[in-house]
Amino acid sequence: METLITGKALILACSAIGAGLAMIAGIGPGIGQGYAAGKGAEAVGRQPESQGDIVRTMLLGAAVAETTGIYGLVIALILLFANPLVRML
Amino acid sequence: MATIKQTQTFIIRTLIIVDLFVIAASFFLFKDPQAFILGLIFGSAISVLNFIELANTLNRAVHMPPEKAQSFTVIKYFIRYIVTAVVLFVSIVAPYINVLGTILGLVIIKIIILISNLMGDKNYFRNIFRRKEDESSGH
Repeated sequence: METLITGKALILACSAIGAGLAMIAGIGPGIGQGYAAGKGAEAVGRQPESQGDIVRTMLLGAAVAETTGIYGLVIALILLFANPLVRML
Repeated sequence: MATIKQTQTFIIRTLIIVDLFVIAASFFLFKDPQAFILGLIFGSAISVLNFIELANTLNRAVHMPPEKAQSFTVIKYFIRYIVTAVVLFVSIVAPYINVLGTILGLVIIKIIILISNLMGDKNYFRNIFRRKEDESSGH
């Protein structure tokens, strides 16, 4: 028996795979922030008087580092729930 | 150097001002800007909450042993990430919230940080073109 794969089904399947791949982008900032926080804790242990400067610099860096994770999340959610490719059929 | 509280206040105040400018611009760009404005406010509010939560997390993490600080920060990051995912999902599903406004609201705070702290420093641009070999310190 022959099973036909429609164009829409193929696009949806590929979009699901794409969304999964896009979510990998969310892991990187987590690892990076954790690493930075570990090093920050070491730095504060060595120089407790400069805690304010260390946390401030780390805060700004960590906030910017999160951006790439949000981009990946946006791509994944748009592919899953507001897929623009299906409308092109 | 400014304290953490001062930095937070400055960034949040700048975000509110930029948001007001974007809201004013949206009246000229869209016919019905209500959904866009709602999305922008929604995204900005969540990004401010995430920023404050990040500051609290880092303030607590630096008093921990390094290994514990690392795992604590990663767990807190994923909690914030899930909150962002819920916000984006709601703005995609709800017809009365524009998803582009939400994305802009989430990203504006990062742009403000980049412009005010990195690109506001003249040495940042000088260092791009300065060659390491030209430095007189001999390092």
